[in-house]
Amino acid sequence: QVQQMQVPVVSSTESWNFGGGVQSYFLFLRFLVVLNFVSFLLIAAFVIIPSIVFRSVGSNLANSTPEDCMEYNPNPQGLEVFYNYFLDLLSGTGFMEYSYLFYGYYNNTMVEDRNFSYNIPLAYLFTAVFYFAFCLICIIAMGTAARVAVATGGSAVGNYSMIVFTGWDFGCLGDRATRLKQKNIHYRLQVDLEEESRNKRAAALTLCQKIVLYSLRIFMGFVAFGLIIGAFYGIFEATNFSQGILGLIIEYLPSIVITAGNFMVPLLCDQIALVERYSPSTTIIVALLAVFLRLVSLGVILFTLWSQITCEGNTSSGDCELCCWETRVGQEMYKLTLFDFLINIAVLVLVEFPRMLVDNWSNKLAQWLGRQEFVVPSNVLGLVYGQTVVWTGALFCPLLPLINTIKFFILFYSKKITLFNNCRPALKTFRSTTSTFFFLVVLLFGWGLATVVMVYSLAIHPSMGCGPFRFFPTMWSIVPTSFYNLSKTTQEFLFFIGSQAFSIPLFALSVVMCYFIALASVYGKSVALLRAQLKLQEGCDKKFLVKQIEELSRQLQISKHNAGVQD
Amino acid sequence: MGNKQTIFTAQQLDAYQISCHSILKLYIFLTFPRLFYRYRDLAPQLVPLDYTNHPDVKLPYELIGSMPELKDNPFRQRIAEVFSEDGEGNMTLDDFLDMFSVLSEMAPRDLKAYYAFKIYDFNNDDFICKSDLEKTLNKLTRNELTEDEVRMVCEKVIDEADLDNDGRLSLEDFQHMIVRAPDFLSTFHIRI
Repeated sequence: QVQQMQVPVVSSTESWNFGGGVQSYFLFLRFLVVLNFVSFLLIAAFVIIPSIVFRSVGSNLANSTPEDCMEYNPNPQGLEVFYNYFLDLLSGTGFMEYSYLFYGYYNNTMVEDRNFSYNIPLAYLFTAVFYFAFCLICIIAMGTAARVAVATGGSAVGNYSMIVFTGWDFGCLGDRATRLKQKNIHYRLQVDLEEESRNKRAAALTLCQKIVLYSLRIFMGFVAFGLIIGAFYGIFEATNFSQGILGLIIEYLPSIVITAGNFMVPLLCDQIALVERYSPSTTIIVALLAVFLRLVSLGVILFTLWSQITCEGNTSSGDCELCCWETRVGQEMYKLTLFDFLINIAVLVLVEFPRMLVDNWSNKLAQWLGRQEFVVPSNVLGLVYGQTVVWTGALFCPLLPLINTIKFFILFYSKKITLFNNCRPALKTFRSTTSTFFFLVVLLFGWGLATVVMVYSLAIHPSMGCGPFRFFPTMWSIVPTSFYNLSKTTQEFLFFIGSQAFSIPLFALSVVMCYFIALASVYGKSVALLRAQLKLQEGCDKKFLVKQIEELSRQLQISKHNAGVQD
Repeated sequence: MGNKQTIFTAQQLDAYQISCHSILKLYIFLTFPRLFYRYRDLAPQLVPLDYTNHPDVKLPYELIGSMPELKDNPFRQRIAEVFSEDGEGNMTLDDFLDMFSVLSEMAPRDLKAYYAFKIYDFNNDDFICKSDLEKTLNKLTRNELTEDEVRMVCEKVIDEADLDNDGRLSLEDFQHMIVRAPDFLSTFHIRI
C-alpha cells in the first residue's frame, strides 16, 4: 500500500499536493537556517571564543581622560525574585544584559604574545563586515541558481496543451489525492482563462469607464497610504512611550504595534485588491508593498532609537540616560526577534491547532469556517522581516544569529506539521520557478536596510563606558590605528591596493565578470536543453523524411508499373 | 505465492513482447513473476497456473478497473480499452503486461506518446478532435468547468498544437507537442 503524504521532508510531495510556492518557501527557510548557522560559527570563531579565552588576559588598548558615562554596571544589586529573572530573559535586561549576548560585555582587549597577537576590536569589526559580505554573496549565489531555473524553465508557449495532456499524474493514488489534483487543474485552467478575459476586457473599456476605474484606484491608494501613516505614527509613539517605564507590556509595545500593523495592513490590502478584482500577478505587487511596510516600520523603530541615542543633539546634557546605546539597540532587536517567534508559536498553537480539532470533529462548523490555506506570501514576508531584524542587530548582539538559527529551525518543523495536518492546499498556484528568485530579491531589500544601519553605526561615536570600541572616536577608526602598526612594505602594498587607480577598475571588472559568468551559465544550460530538443527533433524529422521517401518511392513504383502496363 | 509452479513454454515467454522494443522485453522479463501474480490475484479461480495450453482467459473490465493503481484514475476505462484486444476493456495476460510495461518507467518516450494519444482519442478515429478534448477536460476537472470555459480551452489547445491546420490533432501534432513537455515521462507513469 503506497501512502501519500507520509514523510515530512522537503520533497516533491509538497509541490504535488500544495503547489510549487510551498516548496519554495521551505527551501528558502532551509537556506536561511543554514546561513544563520554558518554566520554564527563565523562570529563564534573570531569574536566570542577569543573574548572568552582572553577575558582575563590582555590589556586595554587605550586610556583617555574620564568623561561622563564611564561607569557601566547593569548588574542587578541585591536579591532578585524569580519573576524578575523571567522578565529579564524576555527583555534582555538585568542578568542578560551584561553577558556575551550584548555588545557591552566585550572588552577592547588586545593580546600580544611572542609570536601571536589578537586584536579583539579589530576582529569584531572585520567579522561584522565580513558577515554582511558573506550573506550578500550567499544571496546572490542562490539568486543566480534560481535565475537559471527561471530562464530554462518551461516557456509559456503551449501552456494550455501542456496542462491538458501532461497535467494529469497517472501515478496519483487515492480518492482524496485525485480530487485535489483535479481541483488543482481546474483552478489552473480557470486562472489562465480569467487573466486572458480580463486583458480582453481591459482593452475594451470605454473612456468613461477608464476614468472611473483610475479614480477608484487613486482613492484606494490614498486610503492605504493614510492607514500606513497611521500605523507609523502609532509605532513612533509607542517607541517613545516605552522608554523609562517599567512593565513588560510597555517594553514590548513597539513590537506589538509593528506586529498588529503587519497583520492589519496586508488584510486591508487584500480587501482593496478584492474590490478592484486584481489578477494574481498584481497580488504580488501588493505583497511587495507589504514587504515595504514591514521594512519601513523597522526603519521607524530605528529612527526613534536614533533620536533617543543622539538625544536630539544634546549629547552632553544630563538628560541623556543611555550609557551604552549599542546594548540598547541590541536589546530592541533581541526583543523584536523573540516576540516574533513567540507570536508565531502562539498563532500555531492557539489558532491553527483548535481549527484542526474543529475540522476533525465537526464538519458543519468546519465548512462554515472554511479550511485553512497555507498562504505563501505572508509567511515569506515574516521570514524576510525576521532575518532583517537579525542583520540589523548582529553588530550589537553577536549571539543573535544563533538565536535566529534556533528560531527558524523550530519554525521549519512546526510549519511542516501545520501544513500536513491542518491546511488544505492553497488553490492559488504560485509558479515555483519564479518564487525562489522573488523571495531572494525581497531578502536583498532587507539586507540593504541592515547595511545602511551598520555603516551608520560604524561612523558615529561609540559609548564611552562599554564595548570593544570604548575609547575610539568612531568604530571604524580602529582600522587606521592598527594599520599604522603594520610594517612599512605591507602598508605601501595595502595603500596601492586601496588606491583609486587600482581598486575602482578591479571592482568594476569583477562586477562585469560576475555578470558574464552568470549569463554564460544560464545560456550554457539553455544551449544544452535546446541541443537535446534538437536531437529529438532531428530524430522525428528523419523519420518523417524516411516516411516521405518511402511514400514517394512507392508512388513512383506504382506509376512505373502503370506506365509499364499501359505500354 | 512462492511455492506454486507456473508453467509456460519458452515460446510463450518469447511471445510476451510489444513491437520491437527490447528495453520492454527486458522489463517484462524482470517483472514477469510479479505482474503475473498481480493478474492472477484479481481472479484466482479464472486464471490457471498452467499456461502451456494457451488458455483463452480474459478478465472483465470491472476486475481491472478495481485495481488500486487504477481505481481512482479518471482515465482507467480508456486505458483498459486501449490495451485490450477486444477494445472493450477485457484484458488477457498479454494485454495486462503490455499495459504495465508501457506505463512503466522503462518505456521510451515515443511509445508512451503513441499510447497517450490513443487514450485521449475517445472515438478511435486516429485524431483528437474537439469532442475528444471536451471529454478529456471533463475527466480532468471532474465536470466542474462551465461549457464556455471548456469551449475556450479546447479552442486554445487546438490553436497551440494543431500544426497542419485541420482543426484536430493528429499523432504527429501530438508527438510534436510532447517533445516540448519536460515532465511527460514522469506523469505518464504507473508504478506497480
